[in-house]
Amino acid sequence: MISITHFLIVSACIFCCGLYAVLAKRNAIMILIGIELMINAAILNFVAFGRYDKSNYGGQIFALFAIVLAAAAVAVGLAIILAVYRHYKTINPDNITDLRD
Amino acid sequence: MGELLHISPILASILVMLLPLFAFIIQASLGEKATSGNISLIAILISFILSATIVLPGIWNKPPQYNTYDWFTIGTKTFTIGILLNNLTVLMQLVVCLIAVPVHIYSRAYMKGDPGIARYWTFLSLFCFAMLGLTISKNLLMLYIFWELVGFASYLLIGFWYTRDAATAANKKAFIINRVGDIGFLIGIACLYSLFGTLDIIEILGEGGLFSQGIVDQQSSLMTLAGLGFFLGAMAKSAQFPLHIWLPDAMEGPTSVSSLIHAATMVAAGVFLLSTLFPLFNDTVLLFIAIIGTITALMAAYFALEQHDIKKVLAYSTISQLGYMMVAIGIGAWDAAMFHLTTHAFFKCLLFLGAGAVIHEMNTIKKHDCQTIDPQDLRNMGGLRKYMPKTFILMSIASFALAGFPLTSGFLSKDAIIISSFEWAIHQGGLYHIIPIVLVVVSILTAFYIGRLIFKTFFGELRINTTANSLLHEAPKTMLWPMFFLGIGCLFFCFSPSPISYHLAPILDGFSVTYSFSEVHSLHIIIPVTLTLTALISWWIAYRWYVLDQHPVHSYNLDIEQNSNRKVAVFDFIPYHLANSLIIFSRWNYHFDKYIIDGSVNAIVKFTLRTSQIASWIDTYIVDAIVIGISNLSKRIANFSAWFDKYIIDGLVNTIAQTTYYFGHLLRWVQNGRLQNYLGFALTMVLIGIIYLILR
Amino acid sequence: MEQILFYAFALLAIGSALLVINLKNTARALFLFFITLFAMAGLFLFALADFVAIVQVMVYVGGVLILMIFAFMLSNKELLTDLQSISSRFIAIPNWQSMLVTLGFLAVLIYSIVEWKDQTPDWIVNNINTNNIIAATDNNIEQLGIKFMTQYILPFEIISIFLLMALIGAAHLSRKEENR
Repeated sequence: MISITHFLIVSACIFCCGLYAVLAKRNAIMILIGIELMINAAILNFVAFGRYDKSNYGGQIFALFAIVLAAAAVAVGLAIILAVYRHYKTINPDNITDLRD
Repeated sequence: MGELLHISPILASILVMLLPLFAFIIQASLGEKATSGNISLIAILISFILSATIVLPGIWNKPPQYNTYDWFTIGTKTFTIGILLNNLTVLMQLVVCLIAVPVHIYSRAYMKGDPGIARYWTFLSLFCFAMLGLTISKNLLMLYIFWELVGFASYLLIGFWYTRDAATAANKKAFIINRVGDIGFLIGIACLYSLFGTLDIIEILGEGGLFSQGIVDQQSSLMTLAGLGFFLGAMAKSAQFPLHIWLPDAMEGPTSVSSLIHAATMVAAGVFLLSTLFPLFNDTVLLFIAIIGTITALMAAYFALEQHDIKKVLAYSTISQLGYMMVAIGIGAWDAAMFHLTTHAFFKCLLFLGAGAVIHEMNTIKKHDCQTIDPQDLRNMGGLRKYMPKTFILMSIASFALAGFPLTSGFLSKDAIIISSFEWAIHQGGLYHIIPIVLVVVSILTAFYIGRLIFKTFFGELRINTTANSLLHEAPKTMLWPMFFLGIGCLFFCFSPSPISYHLAPILDGFSVTYSFSEVHSLHIIIPVTLTLTALISWWIAYRWYVLDQHPVHSYNLDIEQNSNRKVAVFDFIPYHLANSLIIFSRWNYHFDKYIIDGSVNAIVKFTLRTSQIASWIDTYIVDAIVIGISNLSKRIANFSAWFDKYIIDGLVNTIAQTTYYFGHLLRWVQNGRLQNYLGFALTMVLIGIIYLILR
Repeated sequence: MEQILFYAFALLAIGSALLVINLKNTARALFLFFITLFAMAGLFLFALADFVAIVQVMVYVGGVLILMIFAFMLSNKELLTDLQSISSRFIAIPNWQSMLVTLGFLAVLIYSIVEWKDQTPDWIVNNINTNNIIAATDNNIEQLGIKFMTQYILPFEIISIFLLMALIGAAHLSRKEENR
């Protein structure tokens, strides 16, 4: 039986990979992948903890919910990327600076 | 044969039902190419053979058979579908097949060359499937589904010539009025479900079923409601007053459709439903059914007197005969109702097919002369006996049957209903005698109007000038043979070995209904004799009026014009006044039907429209006006406050802002508009916060 | 054996994730992301969440990733070249700040996990003591189905509405606008 700490550490590593992608990548699709990695890390935590909760099965249930949410997020995210590309003719977030004063 | 082929009646009856469905699917998938109708014809022919050789002999006068299949489960309630075969259902199924086969053959000639003929066969097969399914349904829910399907197929076929405005209006009318009835049916089903917890006919009504266990009080108001609901459904389907208004309009469909659906089978479905569920009805419901049936029979017979459209005469006649069947159910003699349904199916179908042949010929004249005549108008016809003698003979047989002359099937079944109703009235006493007396009057009227139809169509001279005399000819063989077949079905020996006594009819034996009233023997002689005599007299009057042209109203007019040329005989005097009042009353009644009943339906629609207009007016001029006033007011206030804002508050704020701006400018480089940078700053702050918490 | 497999999966997941974020070619990164997701699904199995693992494979690998690759391939030429030309260096110079933040986060997380290990929450201890934890022989799918339809019916319905909203929103966003 694998102890919960192992899971947590693996998930922390994956999470940080995702975080790095989100912060550093200059490509909107890669940022989306980074978000997916972070969500996957969270799901791993869910199932790892859910193992100790037989009466409610909360971990696995919410892992499934999270997967669905992630799928929805990807659909909307890709749509947004397409719309952004149509508007700015680029998907490099560096070049999109409309939020600036 | 059933033993030879080892096909159980259940399987055979399912096949009977499904074959037209296959024909429907094949026809629909072939599309416009399948114009011959062979597929539908073969399917219904095999259905007929199966029904006649395997299902009927296997079930008739033997214990009923049934099969149940689970359909779906909601909670703990399982809904089933099933096949129920007993005397009633197999008889109905056979009647439907028996009528459908000649109509299919007839249609091949009648509908030839119609651009939408592929559609016609498709719809006809759909109808046959639905109707055959309706007859053998074991579950009320399944029955309801087929009931709807039948109505839908009828809707499609009434509007078959959808380019005609009248046809689309008629099919909408039929559909909507049938929906009213279906609500009743649904209420009935809901009541039964709440009472019994099942919709299976066998479980409710079968031997040792829930109903016979007496767990439900038959006199309870819920049972009355259920009975009235089912009757409402039957009223719409079987065109009972006041929901009968769709049937005359439904004659906009092709004549072959009218003969199959609106004369023989679908309109009889209401009678069939009531017969199936007969034990459920308590005395209140039955009396209601009898009264409605009487009113319908009388009114429709009156309307038929002065119709000029040959198909409308027949349509009102159908309504009137359905009224007879309803009365029979109402007095408890539902076996007589089913008997009359069977015989009526034959002769009314034949009458319609004959009318179709006549219309066909009139259309020939119309096309030849390019006249703008109505080919269905009786006033244009006459003398067709010379051109189409076989059609004339067959239609005469059918009208004899309708009028109830001896040696015909109609004589037997009509006698069965009227004698039973007299016996019932004697048993009940008092005011109940009105019902059988009205039925006798209706019978006289029936004889009169059908005599009028025959005389006007086939006797005398053609009433329009045409040069197309040489073109008029007998109907083609494919139309004549089905009519010939139906004509045989109008004769007594198909139903009873004795030409005068209906008691020997095997159909009545098969149901073995126990009446609540006792038999009165003297009636069995008096009534048939009276009916025959009165029918003869009314035919004689009709003959004098319409063939010898001694129509009292007509002669009266002539008297005024030509004063002395024609003497009104003394004995013409009484029929004259009688007939005059009768005809005026009939016209008045028809107008009543057309304007008051139709009008009230329209009025409700108009009322709704008007109410909505008023509501919309109120909305525009009162509610909106208030809203606009308020918005104007608030605009003024807003303008004022904008001014206040701009010069007083902003002046204050701007000075503060100016100073802030300088500080803000210093931090501006952080806000470079890049999302990732923002995120990075935010996360850095979170990180610093967490590290602070850890180190604290 | 179990340990070895777990470490193998974990290494596969972390390694491929690192490669994903460091490759300069977006198409290759996308395909490597496949491997990461498969490895994650394998890790779920070790947490005895077999159904979640299958859903992961089906939804992510079958749906999300295909969607991404489709979006990648169906996008027009300018977008493709745009995607390819970015990130020409293995580790970009201006990314040292994000690397710093990320490593800081990793350090904090691992520190807190190690700290947390000594003070396991009560409910976990209780469940372990009463042996109320999911065993390898349990029928997870049946339990999940029952839970979805009873205890978690409300979130289940909400999430289905949400999914519908997301789909409609995505369709709305990605449609061509004519009158801009």
